[in-house]
Amino acid sequence: MLDTVREIETPEGISLRLRAAGALPRAQAWMLDALLRLGVFMLAMIPLSLLGVGGNGLAMLLMFGLMWAYSVVCEVWMNGQTVGKRMLGLRVVNADGTPVTWVPSVVRNLLRVVDALPGVYGVGLACTLIDPHARRLGDIIAGTMVVHTSELPAGAQVPTVAAIPPPVVLAADEQAALVEFAERSGQLTLQRQEELANLLMSLTGRRDTAAVSQLIAHANWLLGRA
Amino acid sequence: MELERISVVLRPRAPREALDLGAVMLRANARAVWSAWFAFTLPVFVTCNALGVALGLPWLGLVLMWWLKPLFDRLPLYVLSRAVFDRAPGWRETLRGQGQWPWGNTWVALSWLRIDSNRSLRLPLELLEGLPGKQRSARWSVLRRRIVADASLLTYGCLQFELVLFLSVWLLALLLIPREWLPDSLPAFFRVDVHAASTVWMLLTSAVAYLAMSAIEPLYVACGFALYLNRRTQLEAWDIDLAFRRLRERLQASGKTLAVLLACACCWPLAGHATSSPQGSRVTTPTSLEQVFTQPVDGADQQRFEAAATEVYRDPRFGGERKVREWVLKHPSAPQPTATPMQPLFPAFAGMVATILKLALWLLVAVAIGALLRFVWRWRGTRVHIDVGSTTPLPTLRTHVVADVPLPADLAGAIRTLWRAQRQREALALLYRGCVEQTTRLLQLPMSIDATEAYWLRQATTMADQARAQRVVAIVRTWQFAAYAGRYPDDAVVESLLVGWPVQVGAPA
Repeated sequence: MLDTVREIETPEGISLRLRAAGALPRAQAWMLDALLRLGVFMLAMIPLSLLGVGGNGLAMLLMFGLMWAYSVVCEVWMNGQTVGKRMLGLRVVNADGTPVTWVPSVVRNLLRVVDALPGVYGVGLACTLIDPHARRLGDIIAGTMVVHTSELPAGAQVPTVAAIPPPVVLAADEQAALVEFAERSGQLTLQRQEELANLLMSLTGRRDTAAVSQLIAHANWLLGRA
Repeated sequence: MELERISVVLRPRAPREALDLGAVMLRANARAVWSAWFAFTLPVFVTCNALGVALGLPWLGLVLMWWLKPLFDRLPLYVLSRAVFDRAPGWRETLRGQGQWPWGNTWVALSWLRIDSNRSLRLPLELLEGLPGKQRSARWSVLRRRIVADASLLTYGCLQFELVLFLSVWLLALLLIPREWLPDSLPAFFRVDVHAASTVWMLLTSAVAYLAMSAIEPLYVACGFALYLNRRTQLEAWDIDLAFRRLRERLQASGKTLAVLLACACCWPLAGHATSSPQGSRVTTPTSLEQVFTQPVDGADQQRFEAAATEVYRDPRFGGERKVREWVLKHPSAPQPTATPMQPLFPAFAGMVATILKLALWLLVAVAIGALLRFVWRWRGTRVHIDVGSTTPLPTLRTHVVADVPLPADLAGAIRTLWRAQRQREALALLYRGCVEQTTRLLQLPMSIDATEAYWLRQATTMADQARAQRVVAIVRTWQFAAYAGRYPDDAVVESLLVGWPVQVGAPA
């Protein structure tokens, strides 16, 4: 089964799901960051241009900072997110899912030079398109990856009805599917709801609207409502 | 479409995440996609450029290849749509399969919709669903609703990527020219080569652009298709559909034992609903072990149990075979001979030392026991007697006060009787209840079952009559001391509480 998720299991048996971010969102985040940095630099140049040679020196320092320090500082102190990444809901994490620290962040940002190689990020783009977790060279070497953090807004609250225990014991994923059905049934058309509920004739023993309400009652029971 | 055969993980994703799924799908089916892509586009590329050269318009090849993109898009989509639901077709099959898909929309996309930022999303709708005009536009308006911005961003992103790859090739070539040559070669290039050999350079540009397009266009189509899949997953809950189908299969597969259960399951909620109101149907679950195991265990039970156990163990989560891989040394080193303990130099001396040490250990044990005995002797008189009496009035704690029972008409008399009968706790409880009821009536409060003592103390402060408020506080406090600390007042205090308001209703405080 194809998916973008990288699954890591901790020693405690908890599986962490890192949803790797691909080339397109990352390029968008980079563009936002580039525009932001350009804007800051141009704003700063207005007063600095009045200072003559000293102003030029300061401008150079500012450019150096924006080029080299901006990403590292943002990643370490803003929870792995530069401004552009935050706007797109991306985050840099270590490959094992822990927050990114100084050394990996510095390494991945220094290696940006390689990724940007023919001058327009050609190497980085090719690398992100080929790598299964969409990492560029800097990420591979620093042992980091970029993941999606934004969650889809969850479905509506499950409507409260009298709970009915399901007649058979359900596995965890089956329970999740029932609850998911109850949460998202509001987004589906009535016909589709009934179609889905009819699939579980053997569980509910009913059809159509009755089956839908029965499933929602089961979901209420699974959620622990009396 | 058979949803069970889908080869991607379906779950509702944010549109941006869906784009990444497209890249994953493309990576998994790279060979099938690009073999079909090159099999079709390479001849077209050659033809277009040959046409351009023949007409004396070398740029025509470049423009035509760009213009024909919507036509080429059909190939990756064909491969991916088959690969997702079935298996990836070979390039011959893909080329042959193009005949099955409608062409009308492709002509539209090639003419007046050529510059359309939603092409990637329109493609699967038009080619895979193949609905007639009116239905299609209605469907389109539903489909695009939340993701039209992402589709446009995808278009511009892919345009950007194509440009990046195109420029990368040229810049890489530039990097490979030695530094010393640059000052001479660049002006010469722009002055001479561009004019003298413009056709060659144009064809080279066209070839590089074609390669960049070949890399990115399938990605564009794949991402659009992933957006489409995600939107339909959202609209039609495909993931739930799949989970339900799996559940149904499991239920149907798990045979006879379940059939009995299901028979119960089907009749018993129905019966419940027939007799009771819609919201009042509550299934009674067995509460004691005797109810669960009503029948005595015998041989038949044992058999049934074994059958059920085998049924359970057939579940893939239990048992089954697992492959465990581990590294084993190819040439295991011979086990080293265990070091023999060193022979003592002077056996007699060593024996003596051992005896002395053994004696010293026994002595240590004796000293420890002696110290323990001395400790016990020394602290024997100062043992703290923990008063176990405070836990004895359990019988009185068990008395139930039924709050629903109306208070007796002669409240004071009833309390006095209880008090004299040594049922002090119940007497004070009755007093407290009487006080609460009078306070409720006085302040015209609603009766609430969850009001605590603290609540009544707060209510007492709102009373206009200070004397009555004080009496309420006194009664509540007395009750609290009795109930929670087991400290009972003497007879005089109780008697004073029984005189006047709350107990004697009409009396002043």
